[in-house]
Amino acid sequence: MSKIPQQIIPIVIILMIVVGSFIAAKNIFVPSSFGEQGHFRTEAIQENMDLEQVYAGADACYDCHDDVAEIKSDSYHKGLSCEVCHGPASQHVEAPDEFIPDAPRGRGYCPLCHGYNPSRPSGFPQINPERHNPGKACMSCHDPHNPLLPHAPEECSACHQEIASVKIVSHHATLPCTQCHTIEKGHKTSPKFSKAHKPIDNSTCAYCHEKGSTIKKAAPKINVELHSDRYLCWDCHYPHYPEAF
Amino acid sequence: MLYSIIFPLLNSMPGLSGYVFPNEYELHWSILIVIYPYLTGLVAGAFILASLERVFKVSALKPIYRLSLLTALSFMIIAPLPLLAHLGHPERSFEMFLTPHTASAMAMFGFVYAWYLMVVLLLEIWFDYRKDIVIWSNEKKGIVKYFYKLLTLGATDISEKAVAFDHKIGRVITIIGIPSAFLLHGYVGFIFGSIKANPWWSSVLIPIVFLFSAIVSGIALMLLVYMITSMVRWTTMSMKCLNKLAEFLLYAMLIDFSLETLDFIHRLYESEESISILSEMISSRLFISLIITQIIIGSLMPMLGLVFARFGKLPDELRRMIYFISAILVQVGIFSTRWNVVIGGQLFSKSLRGLTTYKLDIFGIEGLLVSIALLIAPIGILWVLTKILPPWNEMGKVQKEVAKMSATESV
Repeated sequence: MSKIPQQIIPIVIILMIVVGSFIAAKNIFVPSSFGEQGHFRTEAIQENMDLEQVYAGADACYDCHDDVAEIKSDSYHKGLSCEVCHGPASQHVEAPDEFIPDAPRGRGYCPLCHGYNPSRPSGFPQINPERHNPGKACMSCHDPHNPLLPHAPEECSACHQEIASVKIVSHHATLPCTQCHTIEKGHKTSPKFSKAHKPIDNSTCAYCHEKGSTIKKAAPKINVELHSDRYLCWDCHYPHYPEAF
Repeated sequence: MLYSIIFPLLNSMPGLSGYVFPNEYELHWSILIVIYPYLTGLVAGAFILASLERVFKVSALKPIYRLSLLTALSFMIIAPLPLLAHLGHPERSFEMFLTPHTASAMAMFGFVYAWYLMVVLLLEIWFDYRKDIVIWSNEKKGIVKYFYKLLTLGATDISEKAVAFDHKIGRVITIIGIPSAFLLHGYVGFIFGSIKANPWWSSVLIPIVFLFSAIVSGIALMLLVYMITSMVRWTTMSMKCLNKLAEFLLYAMLIDFSLETLDFIHRLYESEESISILSEMISSRLFISLIITQIIIGSLMPMLGLVFARFGKLPDELRRMIYFISAILVQVGIFSTRWNVVIGGQLFSKSLRGLTTYKLDIFGIEGLLVSIALLIAPIGILWVLTKILPPWNEMGKVQKEVAKMSATESV
């Protein structure tokens, strides 16, 4: 029998120690239920289920507060659960007089959803809390259960701030929105029912940019028909920031 | 009138241009993620260079064989640190080993790294040095003696048969090590190349480009390390070795540059919808780091320098100087390559309509100072390793041979 070279023995021992430590660490540190149902600890499901339930759900609120439920059912906030603003109310359901849920009345709460953020969809009401009636509580003008506007917005930017904030730094800054969009009457108060329409062909852009157009002399002029071929202008140019490309 | 004043001002601001999604304003992968592929590339390159001597018997590279292995180990030890520093919870990183997700390339890489460090590098170095370690454990005095005794791991047999076995097994490890080194850096490219949502990264060529740039950077690093260590130790450099290194560096650069050019032409010809924003990014944000630093300073100039120095009739002194400068330029170029991949891939918006800017911090965990420390640390480790495991003994012999040869050798 050929003898095993001396230098192999320590290497094998070290390898066994490394592999052994790895197996031991796996047994010690990996929870036993890990991987039973997927790449996670199965016991975590039960642990979460065992957590104390703090939210009661909107239906529990509506059992008693049916007057608010009725107002809310027809409002823009109808999809919003009561506890989003009032906080967890499970205790209140169990002992209505002992635990009174909080109602946010300051200016800090509503902007969590309605503060301007460019990632929010255009048309979602967004304000700049520092400029929008500073110091005044939101509730003094808007009923949170039926948040209608006290008056129709004066500017399109009240709802379309994302577009407005881009347009303001573009060459189109001075153009009113109605230069290109036709707005149905009542759009500012009922935007879902009265739509704002977008241009449908290149004639809208050609109005200022067609070669020979005397409107807006500083605007770049092109032969729209030759330039665009079969494309629409906004296939390439973003109308609210045309210099982007 | 007002806009003619405002617009040039706005355009001159280095921040955002066009439309950028809100979660793209700030880059998520910072300079630390630039350093990581740079360091792993140096490891893979240095190892592949070492394997040339061992497997392919390129005897001219003998003086740097051990030095390459130690260099690879030094950089290997530091390579994961930028990743750990980048993590929010580095203390949890070991869980990746305990519960690895087989569908995650990043999770599986932990094992590639462990394999490469433990099975390839450490074993190869140990087998190569074993005879010397046993000798030192007998010659040295005091605590050092016991340190070397510990390093022998009890294997004190240095008979001719045992040493021959060391050489044999060392060769086998090197042969395993070559695909491992390819895997190590190919993986780093794979991580980027497989991100299909990012047109700057998503390319099957990226792992191959990474691999060749790794070889380029590794050879250039060894050229520098060899020249600097020789200068510090006041020993003569083997011109044969330097010439060979320069040749390999030039060939690797030619392949690397061709592949990158191919990738570039392919993108241009394919002309996907992302091409306009990528072109704009190259001509604005990446102009200095890509066109000037990576291509002109980091590729064309050193390639020309190497051709001129290697194949021109120049005195050795001048030749060495050009090699040295070229190797530094290559390092600058490869670092720019990593920068352009990692940072460049995050500078354009996924809307393909805007560009953002990367602002490098000076202080802080993801800052410039930490990055410099991470880049210097391997050199410190290399210094310590060369004290523990001097790679010079063998070089002394070779240098003598070289000295003999140099009298008759015409390069």
